[in-house]
Amino acid sequence: MSVKTSKKEVEMDKLQNSVQRIILMCSLAAALRYWLMLSKYQSVIANHVEVSTPMNSWKRVSEGLYLLSRNIDPYSGDLLHETPLSLFFYKVLLNVFQQQIHWMFITFDLATGILLFATARKYMSQLYKEENANKSTFSKDALQYLLKPTDLIKSPFHVLLAFLFNPFTLFNCVGYSTTVFHNLFLSLLLFSMVLGIPIIGSVSLALSASMSFYPSILIIPISLYHINIFKSVTKAIIDIIIFIVSVSLITIFCSHYAKDFGYLKNVYGCILTVPDLQPNIGLFWYFFTEMFDHFRDLFIYSFQINATLLYLVPLSIKFRKQPFLLTLALLFIITVFKSYPCVGDVGFVLSLLPCFVHLLNYCQQGFLVGVIFLIASSLAPILWYLWIYCNSANANFYFGVTLAFAIAQIFLLTDVLFAQVKREFILEHGKERKVNGEEGILCLE
Amino acid sequence: MQFLTCATYLIFYVNSVLTYNSDTFTEELLIKPLYSEQIYAHFQFTTKWDVDPNTETFNHSRIFPRALGEIVKRYNVQELHVSLTGGLWRYDSWGYPVTDAAPGAEVWAWFKTDTKDVNKNWKLLANSLSGLLCASLNFVDTSNSVSPEFSFKPTGVTDSPNVNSSYLSSGVSGLASLLNSGYIHNTRYHSVALHLRPVCRDETCQSLSLELQQSVSLVYDYLILGTKNWSLRKLFGQGVTRNCILASRSEIYVDTTTSSTHSFELSPPPDDVVTSIRGGHVSTFGKYNVPNYFLHISAKYEESQKLAVVSPPSLYASQYLTGYGQERGGIVTKLYNNHWDNLNVVVLQNIPWYVPIYLHTLKVTTDGVNNEPITLRYIPGIQRERPYYLEILLKLPPKSATAVSIDFDYVFLKWQEYPPDANHGFYIGSAIISSHLTLARNYTGLPQDGSTITDSFNASRSGYLVQVRTENMVITLPTPDFSMPYNVICLACTVVALAFGPLHNITTRRLVLKPKNNEKLLFRLKRKLTEFLKK
Repeated sequence: MSVKTSKKEVEMDKLQNSVQRIILMCSLAAALRYWLMLSKYQSVIANHVEVSTPMNSWKRVSEGLYLLSRNIDPYSGDLLHETPLSLFFYKVLLNVFQQQIHWMFITFDLATGILLFATARKYMSQLYKEENANKSTFSKDALQYLLKPTDLIKSPFHVLLAFLFNPFTLFNCVGYSTTVFHNLFLSLLLFSMVLGIPIIGSVSLALSASMSFYPSILIIPISLYHINIFKSVTKAIIDIIIFIVSVSLITIFCSHYAKDFGYLKNVYGCILTVPDLQPNIGLFWYFFTEMFDHFRDLFIYSFQINATLLYLVPLSIKFRKQPFLLTLALLFIITVFKSYPCVGDVGFVLSLLPCFVHLLNYCQQGFLVGVIFLIASSLAPILWYLWIYCNSANANFYFGVTLAFAIAQIFLLTDVLFAQVKREFILEHGKERKVNGEEGILCLE
Repeated sequence: MQFLTCATYLIFYVNSVLTYNSDTFTEELLIKPLYSEQIYAHFQFTTKWDVDPNTETFNHSRIFPRALGEIVKRYNVQELHVSLTGGLWRYDSWGYPVTDAAPGAEVWAWFKTDTKDVNKNWKLLANSLSGLLCASLNFVDTSNSVSPEFSFKPTGVTDSPNVNSSYLSSGVSGLASLLNSGYIHNTRYHSVALHLRPVCRDETCQSLSLELQQSVSLVYDYLILGTKNWSLRKLFGQGVTRNCILASRSEIYVDTTTSSTHSFELSPPPDDVVTSIRGGHVSTFGKYNVPNYFLHISAKYEESQKLAVVSPPSLYASQYLTGYGQERGGIVTKLYNNHWDNLNVVVLQNIPWYVPIYLHTLKVTTDGVNNEPITLRYIPGIQRERPYYLEILLKLPPKSATAVSIDFDYVFLKWQEYPPDANHGFYIGSAIISSHLTLARNYTGLPQDGSTITDSFNASRSGYLVQVRTENMVITLPTPDFSMPYNVICLACTVVALAFGPLHNITTRRLVLKPKNNEKLLFRLKRKLTEFLKK
């Protein structure tokens, strides 16, 4: 009896301890954000093209809200690319927060962090349970590579840490980019996915899909999660149905609020056809600046298919047993190949990586990727300044940096996926790499 | 058949004989020494044709240019105003011109109410005008035109900077003989304009007439002339050879109002002295009737000159860009009200689509204090389709300077959308500030109901419409590297391929353990190299 209570006490202690840590981290992160937001650096950060794209800049939202307040249709021009629902959402939020924009962004960013923490915690424990249950099928000498109980405690904190103190997400929040809200819906989606709640998951998926279109492909990993982890096909079907219903409800609301369907051209037309060629960290802007007009459509189609459908099916088949990894991979691909990516998207995906601590041993390009990330993110603002303000560099310099940044993300993604393949192989066949007693090498065939 | 043709001919003949007698042509030249170091010359050629503009076919005309008539008929134009201008009119030191004109080209037209597709007709009209006037007005279309609500009655206003000005001269004799291109381009400011409108035939206004004003405004600088003692020969290269035979009146007016402070003597002395009292402002003019022989006028200034306190006109404006770099900027329009009373003004901004403005950043401050616009009309622009149209009705307090500022972003265009000289920059047209002044100080404009300079004498009205145009502005948009399309396409596709390769491998192949024999050449070399280095 006493042992039991002490165990409970220890758990309570642990819980209290972790809650304390979360509160400490959150308040530190909030203080850091608040300080940056009130400092002169706020406008500098918000004005950077890496942070604010035409899709997510708060300046355009303010313009839209202002036009709305003057009874001018904000979708009659082409500055605003947010959906009417988002506009309505921001209007309500601004009333709730009494125009305290910074607190609004900080609150949502912290909420995203906490949701990601909870997601990671749940996911890690699921993975741990699953691995323990399948222990017998693994090779004997590979058991040391299984998840350890300490990982279950540490990784979620690393996720929280990576989200709250990652300069990418930090700048994203300080720069008042609406990706903050987008990230919240994504994290809500991940949270409900690992928890197996279909309604919240599909609704938040529908919301984030309505905001930026690309996440709609995440319906596949969500369904796979229900099918393969919770072994429930009905849940998956319910999920898809709710997704479709909520997308149509959102569309109806939007068209009602904007009084017509003109917003579709401004929001999805802009995302898909890339008429605004303002530089960002993605691949589209310079490519379509320099594109010959008669090939434009062809390349728009191929780039958009590349960002959404091309890898969807093969990855979904290959990683159907690891839908969470599949989600990460798809998020990564969207971030690299979407038309208007920003550092907020990158930061969000990067902060999920500590969930895959078990793959760390098999990653080979961590150093390379880290160095490219570091160099690219420090060079980008410098070369931008040289090009736009000093006229001593030109567009090619900045383009080079964005290429390097994209390459780093691609390397990271392929490294993680390859690590998963290798880990599976080693868990199955053991760590020995001997073929008929001779040294062997692992290769894809 | 033969008879029918004859009859038709006869009818047309009679018709044309009737129309021949119904048009009048007057030519006038106003020379006005400005208080500053410039002299202003304004040629006004007015054709008034007593026909109903709604029914006239423009098949026959005498003085009225038929080429213009055909265009007007074809595109259902009711009123047409075109001006091609080089240089900037300095309102603050020169006062108001007889006709306002924006730097560059400006076209505004009013189409008849039964016009089906105004936008189409507008585009076609601009194209026809560009052919007629040899100006690049063909760049005028809906992507750089707006339909103002307050500033103009008519439908379109536009600014296109690529001007290649040439002029519809009404003949080589008469005052037009003074227009020699070498001397026109030797000026601080030159503007040719064409204004076509229907007017009342008489006071009862029972029937309409068509009025065509063609004008040339020139501002010479004494510094360029080399002396203050001007003469027709110094200004235009030659004197007037004789009056125009077709003209019913052919007159030259020299404004002698400045003579009280900067006295000069005219030779030959004017035929007549006209005193005009207009809006509480007295001006005197020396009048010459151009004879049917050679006329040369010159002015000689006296040595001792008094200093004159010149008060600037009641309303003038200027416009400039703020910010640095090629990322974000602002447009500031400064309006100066020197009047002793409030002035209501309409500010019209036609901002091209490549300068996206943010309405929420619009700030109107009068001497540092916020000045809320009375009314505001705004139609946001669309990239490559429609400019930003902003029209603000403001009340300017007496003796004040008001700044209207708005922020914009620099946009990035496709590489083929840049002009051949991409780093020359892109133009932002001038703002147009309209107001009704109660005083006619510095005002030389024609009254609404008048068509000649003579009509403006003693023409006191309740208000004097001024339309002040500000400077054009040039912004240099950030440019891509125009030599790189292939490289960019290749490099970006390489990155896509970098993702495709490994993802394709991971998803379609299986991981297997292979014996490590058949050491490859490269590996063998590498091993040997490391062994060698170890030694």
